[in-house]
Amino acid sequence: MKLSCLQENLAKALNIVGRAVAPRTATLPVLTHILLASDNGRLRVSATNLELGVNCWIGAKVEDEGAITLPARTLTELVSLLPSDRIDLELNNRTQAVRVHCSKTDTNIKGIDAQEFPIVPIFDPEGAIYVHADVLRKLIAKTVFAAATDESRPMLTGVLIRMNENRITLFASDGFRLSVCSGQLAQPITEPRQVLVPAKTLAEVGRIVGDQQVPVAIAITPARGQILFHLENIDVVSQLIDQKFPEVEALIPKKYETLTVLNTADLLKACKQASIFARDASDVVRVRITPSEAGEGSTVDIAARADEKGDNMNELEASCTGVPIEIGFNVKFLIDVLSVIETPQVSLSTVTPKSPGLFKGLGDESFQHIVMPINLPKS
Amino acid sequence: MPIQILPESVVSRIAAGEVIERPASAVKEMVENAIDAGATEIKVECLEGGRRMIRITDNGYGIHTDEVALAFAHHATSKLTSAEDLEHINTLGFRGEALASIASVSIVTCVSRHKDETTGTMMRIDNSRVITHERIGRNPGSTMTIEHLFARMPARLKFLKSNQTERGHIDGVITRYAMAYPHIRFTLLQDGKVIVQSTGNGSLRDVLIEVLGGQDVEKMIALNVEPTTVGAEDEASRSAITVRGFVGLPTLDHNSRSRITLFVNGRPVQDIKLASAVVQAYHTLLMVGRYPVAVIMVQVPSEDVDVNAHPAKAEVRFRDANAVFSAIQRAVRTTLLAHLAPPEAPVSIKGIENWGLTISDEVSHDAPVTSTTGNEAAHAPIIGHQPRLAGSETWERVGIARQAQVAPDAHPQPPISNPQSLIPNPQSPIPNPQSSIPNSQAPILPKPQLPALRILGQLALAYIIAEGPEGLYLIDQHAAHERILFERMMTQHDLGTVVTQPLLDPVVVTIPTSSAYVLEENINVMYELGFEIDPFGGATFLVRGVPSMMIQDDIVAAVHEIVAEMEAGEAEPLRKEIEARVLRRVCKRMAVKAGRVLPLSEMQALVRDLEACQSPRTCPHGRPTMIQIGVGQLEKLFGRLG
Repeated sequence: MKLSCLQENLAKALNIVGRAVAPRTATLPVLTHILLASDNGRLRVSATNLELGVNCWIGAKVEDEGAITLPARTLTELVSLLPSDRIDLELNNRTQAVRVHCSKTDTNIKGIDAQEFPIVPIFDPEGAIYVHADVLRKLIAKTVFAAATDESRPMLTGVLIRMNENRITLFASDGFRLSVCSGQLAQPITEPRQVLVPAKTLAEVGRIVGDQQVPVAIAITPARGQILFHLENIDVVSQLIDQKFPEVEALIPKKYETLTVLNTADLLKACKQASIFARDASDVVRVRITPSEAGEGSTVDIAARADEKGDNMNELEASCTGVPIEIGFNVKFLIDVLSVIETPQVSLSTVTPKSPGLFKGLGDESFQHIVMPINLPKS
Repeated sequence: MPIQILPESVVSRIAAGEVIERPASAVKEMVENAIDAGATEIKVECLEGGRRMIRITDNGYGIHTDEVALAFAHHATSKLTSAEDLEHINTLGFRGEALASIASVSIVTCVSRHKDETTGTMMRIDNSRVITHERIGRNPGSTMTIEHLFARMPARLKFLKSNQTERGHIDGVITRYAMAYPHIRFTLLQDGKVIVQSTGNGSLRDVLIEVLGGQDVEKMIALNVEPTTVGAEDEASRSAITVRGFVGLPTLDHNSRSRITLFVNGRPVQDIKLASAVVQAYHTLLMVGRYPVAVIMVQVPSEDVDVNAHPAKAEVRFRDANAVFSAIQRAVRTTLLAHLAPPEAPVSIKGIENWGLTISDEVSHDAPVTSTTGNEAAHAPIIGHQPRLAGSETWERVGIARQAQVAPDAHPQPPISNPQSLIPNPQSPIPNPQSSIPNSQAPILPKPQLPALRILGQLALAYIIAEGPEGLYLIDQHAAHERILFERMMTQHDLGTVVTQPLLDPVVVTIPTSSAYVLEENINVMYELGFEIDPFGGATFLVRGVPSMMIQDDIVAAVHEIVAEMEAGEAEPLRKEIEARVLRRVCKRMAVKAGRVLPLSEMQALVRDLEACQSPRTCPHGRPTMIQIGVGQLEKLFGRLG
């Protein structure tokens, strides 16, 4: 292999694929490496930890075809310190070492044979589903946080992606809360699809999709073992979770006893204040909703108390309808959901202090988040 | 063989066998008589483990001349006149059996002079037969000489152990009574050698130094006296249980319960339940399998205790056993918790040995003496009558702060209402201003807080290295976190503020069929700890909610572990203990594991939380959370000091 590319392109590509590099404790040493391969007049940079794989292509002038893997950390550190100039990469096939030449810098890095690197699937446009990058990023951001981190119930560590006609809907739940967010597909599909993607890798997809403005192509491998997100010059591949996601739609309350509309930013601030005290008291925050006769001018009290620290109470103006209610929530859950609601107003529908509360951005029907209330301490 | 009535001599020997089973029991009966007779000096001499001769000399009231013969009759006693008297027995003896029993199995010579008479009486009885009965000169008091015990009862004689063992039992009896009656001067001579010699000056501490040895007693603290009322709902029958005595610091542990000595109304008793009250008070302070050293005197109104429950009077029954149980547990626990327990050098030495370092014996012997400020404070409640709290010069600030904490409150009460106390508190204790022990003996000390520690780093991904006023601290991150969580959850539990986070959808847990009943029985315990669990038929359960602390945890595995823990603790008599077991298990699950990298901020938070704990030095399972190596010890290890 002998090729040349620009330092800034290579640095960027290494940064993108770096997220998929296995930690240094990985049992398979080659997984801590990054694959460099010539590919139709471009340089393909790949990394995988077997759960998540990323391919990134950058422009290159290829003199000799070939491939090699180099230790991710060494290569990334080195390239980031090279001058913004042309980099020449030349592989010595006998020693499996790559000479990295840039301006007046000369470096040799020892690698591992590219044959040992797991195959990262390449995008196949056949049967692909298209969704705009903006939509995908929003869907991911509004759901992944609600997935479980504990591996005991593997289906809950995943985000369910359901695609039907022209809708794409993501579901995530950790058993205490459920986030549902849906968006428009760029092109309608005929056959409904449903896959369970690990939240961890989906979060990486969200980051890699970043500020791209192009449609993202989603391909599900025929064996349904993997999902591939294809962007211009970047492919992200994730393993799927072969488990059944629980039937969660039935959990979303259809009616309410109290409907409260609040300013999102004010509520978030009140929750953040309360969390200073709640963190020493099992994260419990008390939400007391007092609707007024007229509907307008109602109040919502957000309060937290830690016996040894003190207490905090915020009274927020709100517009409420229905019956008064006092309900407890884990304040972390509230902060999580309020942080992803973009609309200036948020609505909270409640039934009883024992049944889940439903949060929605006012005027945004695409997102629903339900949180199981906490049993307020018997005091 | 036809049925026949046994001759009197046989009957009396059978009965005697119940009371006098070995020389030590004869000693015990005689000593009790001497104590009941108001003696201030009791001398016991034994030969060949009491087999050949036991002689007990006292300076009590003595026996009237015309009553001496009667004293040896069965059921003859001066301590009791009617059956009602049995309800409130204030003397050690009451059955009138002892002399008769002893006289029926040995040769007894009784020399006694009543204090109101001018001459004494000598009476010699050989296995119930009176040989001599004459007047004799003597000081007021009695001398009982028992010779050839069991000589005519080969069956019993065969079962006596070696002289050594029998001597040991006699030592035990005298030791215990010396502890129970510090104002009586006890002397025990075995084959001419002085074994026990108490001063009779009334100080239990002095007796303990004599019988346990000064080194151990240094590590013991006096109990805060705190009377508890029984039957508080009934004002008229309100009466107090007083618990006094000395308990060992957790560093003075033992491998069995044998060093827990209990007295009820001045009577040594062997009561597994009361002993376990003491053990439970050390809950989480001692390692599993280690037991405390304690001398506990319980004073219960005589009508609330039935001593007539065991032939040898080694067991007693209480009208309200639970009240006594919790009174003991609370007294011991509050004393321990209130005690400013600064780092004990022996702990750190032990720790170093575990680390594979070698330390000469000399070091470990010297350690408690040379260790810095902390230990002086540790000794304060034992030696001093004023708590010495000031630290060394370098750390004076700490000392002043602590003094300031104590000073404003002129009559501090024991911290009984402490919500973090692990002790059930069924009755509210009333502070007793006329407490029988002067306040100075039970100093109220601030919480055993840790000094401010400066974090230096993390070792082996498991230990936090910190520096404090007393040298180097190694803190086990897992054990420390366990302790923090445990106290936090216990507090929540005691205050009833356990928070349950219900699940959106219940989780189904199936446990082994054989264990299902344990969980079913304890569903209420689980509920109070924050688990909402419903039986779902057979061995299947629905978990509807978990403690909010556990929302990141594997619910199924947690329930399985808890059930296993409950099975292990099934024998525990108290629900409290089961709860504590479950909590310990939960905390163990939730605590940071060894092997996790902790950022500095997290380590600081952990140590700060630990500083706020009640018993920061042990994890809920009783293992140490930290090892402290004093600068002095480091200097020794490096050979800078002799």
